[in-house]
Amino acid sequence: MTGNKMKSIGRIALMSVGISALALGLPAFAQDGDVVLRLHVLDSDALVENFNPNNPTGPQQIVRDFVYEPLWIDNVWNPDEDYPALATSYEIAEDLMSITYKLREGVTWSDGEEFNADDVVFTFDYAKANQDYPMGIDVYMEETDTGSIVSVEKVDDYTVKFNLHEPDSLARYAIGGIYPLPEHIWADVEDPKNFANPDPVGTGPWTELANFSRSSVDFCRNETSRYNEENAIDCLRFLQLNGNEQIIASMSAGDVDWLGTGLTDPEITFKPQSEFNNYWLPPGGDVNLQINTTKPPFNNLEFRQAMSVAIDRDTIVDISTFGLTTHTRFPVGTGETYSTWFNEEALEPYTWLMRYDPDRAMELLDGAGFVDADGDGWRDNPDGTPIQFDINIPNGWTDWINTGQTISENLQDVGINASVRTMDQGAWNDQARTGDFDSYIMWTNGGPTPYNTYNPMFNPRNMEKGRVDYQAMHQMRLPEVEEALQAFRSTADRDEQMAHMNTIHTAIAENLPIIGLFANPTWYEYSTRNFQGWVTEENPFVRPTVHEGTRERVIHALALKPVSR
Amino acid sequence: MTYILRRLAFYLAAFFLAVTLNFFIPRVMPGDPSARIIASFQGRLNEAQVEAIRASYGASGSLWEQYIGYVAQVLRFDFGISTVQFPEPTSSLLFYGATWTLVLVGISIALAFVIGTMMGIHAAWNRGGFFDSLFTPLNVILNAFTPAVVALLLFYAFSLELKWFPLGRAHATGLAPALDLQFIGSVLYHATLPVLSILIVSFGGWHLGMRNVMINLLNEDFVILARAKGLSDRRVRYRYVARNAIMPQITSLALSVGFLLGGALVTEQVFNYPGLGKFTVTAIESRDYSFIQAQLLLLTMSVLVANLLSDIANVVLDPRLRKG
Repeated sequence: MTGNKMKSIGRIALMSVGISALALGLPAFAQDGDVVLRLHVLDSDALVENFNPNNPTGPQQIVRDFVYEPLWIDNVWNPDEDYPALATSYEIAEDLMSITYKLREGVTWSDGEEFNADDVVFTFDYAKANQDYPMGIDVYMEETDTGSIVSVEKVDDYTVKFNLHEPDSLARYAIGGIYPLPEHIWADVEDPKNFANPDPVGTGPWTELANFSRSSVDFCRNETSRYNEENAIDCLRFLQLNGNEQIIASMSAGDVDWLGTGLTDPEITFKPQSEFNNYWLPPGGDVNLQINTTKPPFNNLEFRQAMSVAIDRDTIVDISTFGLTTHTRFPVGTGETYSTWFNEEALEPYTWLMRYDPDRAMELLDGAGFVDADGDGWRDNPDGTPIQFDINIPNGWTDWINTGQTISENLQDVGINASVRTMDQGAWNDQARTGDFDSYIMWTNGGPTPYNTYNPMFNPRNMEKGRVDYQAMHQMRLPEVEEALQAFRSTADRDEQMAHMNTIHTAIAENLPIIGLFANPTWYEYSTRNFQGWVTEENPFVRPTVHEGTRERVIHALALKPVSR
Repeated sequence: MTYILRRLAFYLAAFFLAVTLNFFIPRVMPGDPSARIIASFQGRLNEAQVEAIRASYGASGSLWEQYIGYVAQVLRFDFGISTVQFPEPTSSLLFYGATWTLVLVGISIALAFVIGTMMGIHAAWNRGGFFDSLFTPLNVILNAFTPAVVALLLFYAFSLELKWFPLGRAHATGLAPALDLQFIGSVLYHATLPVLSILIVSFGGWHLGMRNVMINLLNEDFVILARAKGLSDRRVRYRYVARNAIMPQITSLALSVGFLLGGALVTEQVFNYPGLGKFTVTAIESRDYSFIQAQLLLLTMSVLVANLLSDIANVVLDPRLRKG
């Protein structure tokens, strides 16, 4: 009897092995010789048949740049070598109150309709009419006196003029990033935010939707694209993947070519897994400690200075963040990304704020009256109330949690009772908005100039209770910074802009509304198994990020050529 | 009959309580669906846009108004739109996730029940024999493992190191769902490790349950009589003992099947398997009210239905209940 039972269990086991072998022997997917670039642009549990270019929760990651093109592709790393896209040239008016774009002639939408100025004008009017469908166009709204672009005029079939509310030398960056929509399709869409755009019509190099399933979707060559001669890639395949380990393992297994995924210890966990695995992690945006300066003890400058010098940034960079982050030199919100904007001489007097010096921290605290009044071993406020605060970090963000632990240990070493508090991301998001918290570890927004970082950080609109922006959580109003930001965008003169930027940098160093920690890596992993021509440290022709928000990624994709073997 | 009616009334009440709880549970958590959408714009929105988005996706209106709207939706079987997998209707996502969960957990439960129960019968019949002394303690030990440990070990060994099995997903990428040999083969191949990881920890329950009840029955008069009549070993074992012992197993099975649609949270996460468990975790993280509500409702209903069926089965099989 025993024998029989064992046999039937054995049979089941054999059967499943047999079925598995059957599956192994079959080709995963026949593509009849097409060149397919497989990339991972967003983490998701399942792909959704939604190709709306202005929906940030997923689809725009897939269709922007590849299906829908902007007017202009800024080359953030090499500003002089930018790429005209749907426009071919632009002219900023003397008074900085308007910009006129020449559009590319002879471009057709992938359904054969012609692209022209009407589409651009339509796109602006459409954005204005549909405020709940944010298309990335900063429309000026009279009721709230917010926004920048007042109107768009059609000068002729291939010329459009954008009229601005205020003189703005930076508007071209924002306007260049507009993704025009085909009027003949979208004019009939009444509720754009709920429109899934199942059959996208664009002008980009890969517009033809093929093989949609919830685990992958292909976008194939647009037969009318002007890039076709140089474009060696027939289809882009966007994969459903989730979880860093899975994603990294997929590249090692040869299932995906281009990633932008967080790594830990890549020389051990990533590089040796496959001879084709490569990565490069150039410094990206800064990560700061956002402290709530509306309440004690953070409203005290000496306390903030003491915090800054109490933090051991070497440990954070080398150990907490696995050596993948880089130091920032000045107590300001931006690091190497904007190195050309620093006035090193003017900032020299503030470099001490970024150096680890616990003794100095204690001196500062003693001097400002932050001493242990009640004898519990922790320093108290000068008025005797105890100090105890949390550093909020979302669950699972390992490098930031490590960083928070290091900071709290550093602060405890100088007598400040700080601890890490992890919470789920929804709660983390929600608490930020209220303005009622102690401190957060926080990323910085970026863009072609440091203006994109500082404006969200110091715009008082972002500090209103109930709608506090992640960037302005410090909630400290600095009028000189607000003025300098205004002046910065009101001039196109680089020297003047430098002077205003220096005012901003100095004011931040002087007041320390935030505490700089390190520059995040730009996540970029690629496989040389199937393609060559990748961006490398030796040949950094564009930012190599695979995610939406990097308009250059289409240039990167077009530069790739299949490896012949 | 009154017994059944009483049970039905109870189920109806439980259903409405569950509907109400499903509404309030996600709303007790801080944050709402619009927060995630607004956050994903990273500060590129102006006030008017933020307000417009909050009105569209955030929970607009008073809690009471929302509740009335939600109950009306439930009665129409309209589960709204998912904010995570926007603008997919929640029902279609639920259906997609449920399909894969049925494949994964369904196969696992069926295999675990059949194999575990057979092992239990065998172990009880040959009490103290080689099989019993090997597999009974082994299954007790395996049963104490958490699915996370087993799933990660299998993933590490067979997917990452040996590369015998895929790293995740329900089927090969680029393969369109179809009822052909290639697709079904791919599905079974991809399900092998996840199913195995659930099986390993769940044999034990069925094995032990069956073994214990069997052993109690072995000394009953009717069994001794059956043996005395000279019936074959096989007939006594299956017709007399196992058949009676299986009742509690069936009740447990009904419960397992009821909870099936909860998905296998850990396994689905480890193997990137697109089941309900995985979707639910993401939905909770993103405060996707529609999905959380619909998933909880689905789970409640399937548990209630499974219970009801097992009640009915009990009434049919156990004459004593019919009088009550």
